[in-house]
Amino acid sequence: MRRFRITPVRLASAIAVGSLACAGVAYAASLGLASNKLHAWSQTLTKGTCNQTSTTADDTYVQQALPTSTAGGTATTLTISPLSGAQDYAFIRFDLSGCSLPTTAGADSATLTVYVTTSGSDTISLFPVYSSWSSSTLTWNGVSGLSIGSTASTSFSASTSGTKTVTVTADVDAAIKAGALWGWELRATSGIASVAIGASENGTASKRPSMTLSYEK
Amino acid sequence: MKRMTNILGIVVTTTLLSVGVAAAASLGIGTGQLSAGNKSVTGCTSSSLTATRNVDNSGNVTQVNVTSVPQACAGELLAVTLENSSHASLGTASTTVGTCSGGCTVTLTGLGTVSAASVSAYAFSLTQ
Repeated sequence: MRRFRITPVRLASAIAVGSLACAGVAYAASLGLASNKLHAWSQTLTKGTCNQTSTTADDTYVQQALPTSTAGGTATTLTISPLSGAQDYAFIRFDLSGCSLPTTAGADSATLTVYVTTSGSDTISLFPVYSSWSSSTLTWNGVSGLSIGSTASTSFSASTSGTKTVTVTADVDAAIKAGALWGWELRATSGIASVAIGASENGTASKRPSMTLSYEK
Repeated sequence: MKRMTNILGIVVTTTLLSVGVAAAASLGIGTGQLSAGNKSVTGCTSSSLTATRNVDNSGNVTQVNVTSVPQACAGELLAVTLENSSHASLGTASTTVGTCSGGCTVTLTGLGTVSAASVSAYAFSLTQ
């Protein structure tokens, strides 16, 4: 058996290799890699707007006094009434399919604008609707079959006529992620007056519901 | 003897040169330019996972949700930085990936008050 001898050349080679290895470790350490494993990545967002008008709006109001009526679907104004035995609720939604937003998108900001045509000392609250409805079929009796949030998202005072704008960012953001915006039920949560807002069928464009939407995707 | 002296000279020179290179490297002094980018180093995943975020009614980010995080990443630290269009940090948060079946959705909260409108990108990292 041949014996391994440590010659000066072999010793020099070993030291040189060891030194270079040390240099590599030091370089890795300088990058912060050490012994930890790191995975880093980024996601760039695309911003845009997709404002909604009466073209994509659907709205109606339902009447406690006429529980099977669908007349609100073609009305030019939407009545909202807290009157006992004669309550009226309005419903407004927008079809966002034209925005081509994936469910991974989100709303950066969104506002809903309505026009109070008949004022009264009511606070009108907006409750988010989570299930599908159509103005051509929704009735007072049909409301109980809808999934509606129990907490108002926002509200406005109808004590004066004119334009009312409310922020609905959280609702629209959630709706984008759910794949559809089923809008809001507008109900008088205080007051005793019957008020009205312009419908998408209103003859004056500025009195129709509209919505601004800034999004990311 | 002369040969031995030459060899030792080479050894000493090589050693000092290596130490010098190592020291320069540890100081970040190289001949090349510094750059940053995505690089996977044998982590639990090499994928660029996607995220969504939720906002409150004021449009501020309330949470970031990273979806389809592999089970292999359980126990690792997931961090997110919200960046503006200049890639400046607007807020950060981190959490340890929990255990779950299949792909995990990891939720990061505590980002501070950051307007979603000002966020142009998310920067993520997973560290062991």
